[in-house]
Amino acid sequence: MNIKKKAPCLERRYRFKFDSYGVKIAVGSNSGEFLQKIKDHLPSIFPNCFVLHSRLKPKHDFLITVNNDRLYELYKDGELMTSGDSEENMFKFFCSRLRLTVAEFAVSRVFLHAGVVGWKGKAIVFPAQSFQGKSTLVAELIKRGALYLSDEYAVLDENGLVHPFPKTLSLREMVDKYEQTEYSATSLGGKTSSAPLPVGMVLITQFEPGAKWEPEILSEGRAILEIVPHTIPIRHDPEFSLRVLNKIVNRAIIAKSKRSEAKGFIDLLFELYETNVK
Amino acid sequence: MNNSQIPVARKQGLVVQEMPEEVLIYDLDTNKAHCLNKTAALVWKSCDGNNSVADITKSLENGFGSRVEEDLVWLAIEQLNAKDLLTENVARRIKGQTRREVIKKIGFASVIALPIVASLAAPSSVMATASCACTSPGSCVAQTSCPNPNNCNTVAGQCIP
Repeated sequence: MNIKKKAPCLERRYRFKFDSYGVKIAVGSNSGEFLQKIKDHLPSIFPNCFVLHSRLKPKHDFLITVNNDRLYELYKDGELMTSGDSEENMFKFFCSRLRLTVAEFAVSRVFLHAGVVGWKGKAIVFPAQSFQGKSTLVAELIKRGALYLSDEYAVLDENGLVHPFPKTLSLREMVDKYEQTEYSATSLGGKTSSAPLPVGMVLITQFEPGAKWEPEILSEGRAILEIVPHTIPIRHDPEFSLRVLNKIVNRAIIAKSKRSEAKGFIDLLFELYETNVK
Repeated sequence: MNNSQIPVARKQGLVVQEMPEEVLIYDLDTNKAHCLNKTAALVWKSCDGNNSVADITKSLENGFGSRVEEDLVWLAIEQLNAKDLLTENVARRIKGQTRREVIKKIGFASVIALPIVASLAAPSSVMATASCACTSPGSCVAQTSCPNPNNCNTVAGQCIP
């Protein structure tokens, strides 16, 4: 039996609480410095959408401890999630976990793991997991005049509109294949959308060097099937998630194809959009 | 007629989304999504516990306005069985022929689409699959969709190939 290590009782414990998309979270630590760093980064973790609130009753409780050997331990709801000796890695990991918690339990929203841009009044959504080139694709589209909404999550409301989640773009290739550097949409010469947009096209695409672009327009059922693996709250609230996905596939074009390098691919993408999205 | 030849569609523990040409079913027990094409969806909807396979075949003939082979209904039932979308397993009717042979036979003879049930599992753990951030090789192990389950790049804080 796998028994997880329980959170320790701390002599000194700092704490703050916040609400993002209706998800109530408490974050505690025995390191006031580390906690302050997280608090300072909340605006970039949850762009435009969090409220610090000292009196809310949290549903998700995180604790980060640092011991004398500089070993960091992260607990969720009293159980150990992970540990490591790099503050920077723990910080990145924790930020990612915070976002995922909100993405999974957000009230009246469905988060897709996806890149999103606005084009001619509608959103183009690219559901994909990490290392599939979402951010690179989004960056190239921004350079070509598309509005930035997100390089990580498509935040869908109950009417199927996609809301901006304009975190800084995390681009790998500019420095090293695996190390990410953060860029704002403005620094790439782009603009961020301030309003939610209806979805015009969902593109299920995966980067493959030299791949041939052969877009297939999917039926509504197959489209949902392809999007489900990228739908963060699908296990938590399948009914609401599927209802929202149904609205998307009802109105938008859902296409699937492998793609090659982002730059040459953008023209093909725009051509597909012009031909199919009314 | 043997009761096992009266298939019954499972209703418990499923979230069902109807679409014009398909039905999307999410199985809450297995966390799998199934997409039934029009033919498979019609068969599944006809499995009400009263209709025999012969009745379902007739119902399909009425729905499509053309002759339907009973084997085509059996082909759908076999898939629905395999995906756990019927309340209990129905005894296999297509004997002595491989599935491929049956598909070939029906495919040539039928003007309606062969039944298809396409399935996909939801991520085994959303928390794990949606991000490949890590602090140690141990935290990559649980993230099955990441490029490598054992290789945590501690500089980048990501599981890398």
